[in-house]
Amino acid sequence: MAFRVRSIAPYLALLILWEVVGRLDLVAVGALPALSEIIARFWVDRADYPRHVLATLQASSAGFVIGNIIAVLAGVLFVLLPVTARMARGLNIAIFALPPIAIAPILALTLEGMTPRIVLAALGVYFVTMQATVTGLSQYDSRAADLVRAYGGGGRAVMRFVQIRGAIPAILSGFRVAAPNAVLGAILAEFGGGGRWGLGAYLLGSLGRGEPDRLWGIGLTATLIAGLSYALFAALSARMLGASRSVTLNPAAPPAPAAGGGVWIGVVSFLLPFALWWGLLLALNVPGMIGKTPVDVFAYLFLSEGSAAAQGKLLLALGETLPITALGLVAGLAFAFGLAVTSQLAPSFTRAFLPVALVTQTMPLVALTPLLVLILGRGSAVTLWITISVTFFPAYVMITQGLSQVPRSVLELPRAYGATVWRELRLVAIPASLPWVFAAIRTTVPRALLGVMIAEWLATGRGLGNLMNQSRGYMDFSMIWTVAVVSVLLSVAFYRIAQITEDRVLRRSGHP
Amino acid sequence: MTAPAGITLTGLCKTFAGQGGSVEALRDVSLNCPPGSFTALIGPSGCGKSTILRAALGLEPLDAGSVLIGGQAPAIATRAGITGVAFQDSALLPWRTVAQNVALPLEVLGRSLGPAQGRIRDLIALVGLKGREDALPGELSGGMRQRVAIARALVSEPRVLFLDEPFGALDQILRRQMNVELQRIWLETGVTTLLVTHGIDEAVFLADRIAIMQAGPGRIVEVLDSPFARPRLPSLFAAPEFHHLCDHIAGVLHGV
Amino acid sequence: MKIALNRRSFLTASAAAATLPLMPRMAHAATPFAMQAAWINDAEFAGYFLAMDQGYYTAEGLDLTYLPGGPDVIPEATIVAGRADLALTTPDTTIKAIVDQGAKFKIIGAQYQKNPIGIVSLAKNPILTPADMVGKTIAVPPVNTISVEALLAMNGIDKASVNIVPYAYDPTPLIKGEIDASLDFTTNVPYTIKTMGEEAVSFLLYDFGYTIYNDTVVVTEETLAAKRKELVAWLRASRKGWDENNVDTTLWPPKWETTHFAGTGRTIDNEVFFNTAQLPLIANPAGVFAMTEEGIAANIEALSKVGITATREMFDTTLLEEI
Repeated sequence: MAFRVRSIAPYLALLILWEVVGRLDLVAVGALPALSEIIARFWVDRADYPRHVLATLQASSAGFVIGNIIAVLAGVLFVLLPVTARMARGLNIAIFALPPIAIAPILALTLEGMTPRIVLAALGVYFVTMQATVTGLSQYDSRAADLVRAYGGGGRAVMRFVQIRGAIPAILSGFRVAAPNAVLGAILAEFGGGGRWGLGAYLLGSLGRGEPDRLWGIGLTATLIAGLSYALFAALSARMLGASRSVTLNPAAPPAPAAGGGVWIGVVSFLLPFALWWGLLLALNVPGMIGKTPVDVFAYLFLSEGSAAAQGKLLLALGETLPITALGLVAGLAFAFGLAVTSQLAPSFTRAFLPVALVTQTMPLVALTPLLVLILGRGSAVTLWITISVTFFPAYVMITQGLSQVPRSVLELPRAYGATVWRELRLVAIPASLPWVFAAIRTTVPRALLGVMIAEWLATGRGLGNLMNQSRGYMDFSMIWTVAVVSVLLSVAFYRIAQITEDRVLRRSGHP
Repeated sequence: MTAPAGITLTGLCKTFAGQGGSVEALRDVSLNCPPGSFTALIGPSGCGKSTILRAALGLEPLDAGSVLIGGQAPAIATRAGITGVAFQDSALLPWRTVAQNVALPLEVLGRSLGPAQGRIRDLIALVGLKGREDALPGELSGGMRQRVAIARALVSEPRVLFLDEPFGALDQILRRQMNVELQRIWLETGVTTLLVTHGIDEAVFLADRIAIMQAGPGRIVEVLDSPFARPRLPSLFAAPEFHHLCDHIAGVLHGV
Repeated sequence: MKIALNRRSFLTASAAAATLPLMPRMAHAATPFAMQAAWINDAEFAGYFLAMDQGYYTAEGLDLTYLPGGPDVIPEATIVAGRADLALTTPDTTIKAIVDQGAKFKIIGAQYQKNPIGIVSLAKNPILTPADMVGKTIAVPPVNTISVEALLAMNGIDKASVNIVPYAYDPTPLIKGEIDASLDFTTNVPYTIKTMGEEAVSFLLYDFGYTIYNDTVVVTEETLAAKRKELVAWLRASRKGWDENNVDTTLWPPKWETTHFAGTGRTIDNEVFFNTAQLPLIANPAGVFAMTEEGIAANIEALSKVGITATREMFDTTLLEEI
């Protein structure tokens, strides 16, 4: 019992602090209401919630199911026919890297009804589950496979008896990470897409009314749904595994079978996303005025009469977006690294801090941003904070994972020789966690860009996020597509740079 | 049980290409195991003894030489279900029960499970796990899992049994118990057995004949008989003539 | 949820499901007709809700599907994509699209004779004319910056003398005194300011020279040719709805608490305020949606100040005459 009290004490302290700060309107004149005020407001609004929650659940579950079916099938295909994995590599990275904020308007333009919500939710789950499926199918027990082969079984027998069932825990843990993504994707699409129901739509109607208690209520409800969906699959996969697992993220890169296979596979891999983009426009019969093909976008940027003006606007926006993204990314990673190291030294502090961090991860950015604006205003600070808050947590989880795989004795060895903390960091902690730091960079780049663009859209009125919003207002369809494409390309470029640097550095420092 | 088949290895050669140059794993290895015999293959780590076993099962392609199991090539023999195998790790599928794991070879071979149910039960009893048919591997001890692997190796009514350090991961006490049990099972089934091991006492206790290997390149340097009468009792481990033979083998292994 | 293979039927089904409680179910022979609104459900669209509830569209032989708007929804795009027959738009974007992109749109009516957008400030620090804006900090949504700059130019004010900062439809900075005024819907935000304990004052951009309509009724030329009868029917039913609504602006919003306004996150008091405030902006002696020659000329003139070349041909007043 004493143990229990001690373990919940930090949370209790946090809640009390929140209550006091909220009641006394200490944060930005009431921008952070007390929990009791939020709950009271929730009670007042209780009649509104069921239909909104139901709509969000519908869209996110439909997207979750569809996205996961496609992801699992794709994963099986990639493992059975590795050449397809190589061909789909560009597409996979593009889907992984695309900032949802950039394509939400595109979906709203080209699809109708519930479809944009379902697609955005499905896009949020695809990569995670595909990756988990490939990992699960690839990391089978080779001895069990040998056994099947020793009885004359071929590749299909190994797949049937060993790989598929063996991949289920991995796939389930993929579902676990994917589930909140589906919820957040659906909410983002609801926010912009013009439906009546859904937490995103509710949020939109509640903005700008000077009612932070309502905003918090919606944000926390969304957080709760995302968190519960995570917990559901965590419980399910724990059952399947017969053991519980800690919060882990898969640091693996998209399936990158050994190089080779010819130049043409690389070309296919590069062209596939563009072909799919073009093909979907044709298949959906999107009018040319609204739907821009890759050639249209190229022509708009480089060949058209207004190309110089378009380039100017784009470069101006990039000049505003890129530095703050890079800064936020570096700050978020540094913060994550610092906290990961701290958590080795002071685990109880981290335990108290993590729930707060987790909330910022599952709270929809469209809900979080207006709240942070109330606290931080509309300057660069708000952009920076949002970027840090969205990048730091996944980075933290990964770096901690990395550090936890270094034996304690190795970590303590330099100290045994009287090294200072900094020297110890430089000698052991940094090199040991290096692969995970890079993995963290790769995974957090799209999130950083998402955070910056949402802040620019809803708060600061600068950069790419603003350009997208403005182009929407001016019905500049070409620019809307251009911003979407540029932000995806940017994200992919960041990703590739991180990956190439990673390969170089790791090879030089002797990591396998 | 059908009549045991023999194993004939002739002139096996295998070189692995690696980063720091190539490694000659096997050079001209020949060994003949007559039907119904129990042969132990012993040698230091990396001498290629496991490679021989994997090659005999068709899991490892050879540069030269031939393997015949009951007069057939490995691919044909394994597919026909002539062989049974147990590896150093039990390699049980964690989601299958003991009975289902034992049945796996039958499923891979495409045989129907119905008629084999009685045999599966008998084999589980034979390895001393009666009553644990529906347990999952996670609920068993390491020794129990190894015994399931032995039962699994026997389920296809093999005429040839390959054992790759099946007790290598067990402690000394458990290992001796398992040795005694394996002998009992072998005496009951009479299956031709090739046991790969690095335990000298295990080889001497279990085998009729012991092939001693040396590394760099992997080759068989001596084949000798273990002449003790069967059934061999645990007291044999303490007998002076047992130790004498063990010392001799140790001498050969160390190149004295 | 059942996912049909045919995308259109699936989407129509889900759209219908989403608007189910709003749509009087048709007996037979009604022509399907979809309208795209400019924003989420609020009093801005009261006339249409009323016409739906009173069966005016049904009486005109229309089976109306009403699509609410949102930040990612470009109403003009919805009619280009053929998902709606008619959209409520802002005339500057519509006309810019006609000019720049050759879009084949026609404006067949205007809900707001005067654009409700204005400069909203607090009574204790009032900004009542463009001249008052000098030396002040004004928050303006990025899309509207060009309109405010035009307003300043029309009134002979150097734009450098006004500090324009981005704004995202939230009165909190105004209340907190971070800004002196903001550009917003004068029909809506003063209510929010009142609930936050302050009194608001405002002036319309329209009243100081930026004379444009808002919520212009826009169709594609294709629809105009193919569905003229239905468009006139829609105008007639909608006008009837607005006329009835405008008799007593406090009467209808409370009736929609559990239907059109359910779950919007806004209060009925707010909608009543909105409905009352917009009355003078909608009214025209020639009837709701009217576009007089002077009105059109004023729009063309104002738009030319922001670099948009509108022409008379972009406005089609013949349907109004057929009502």
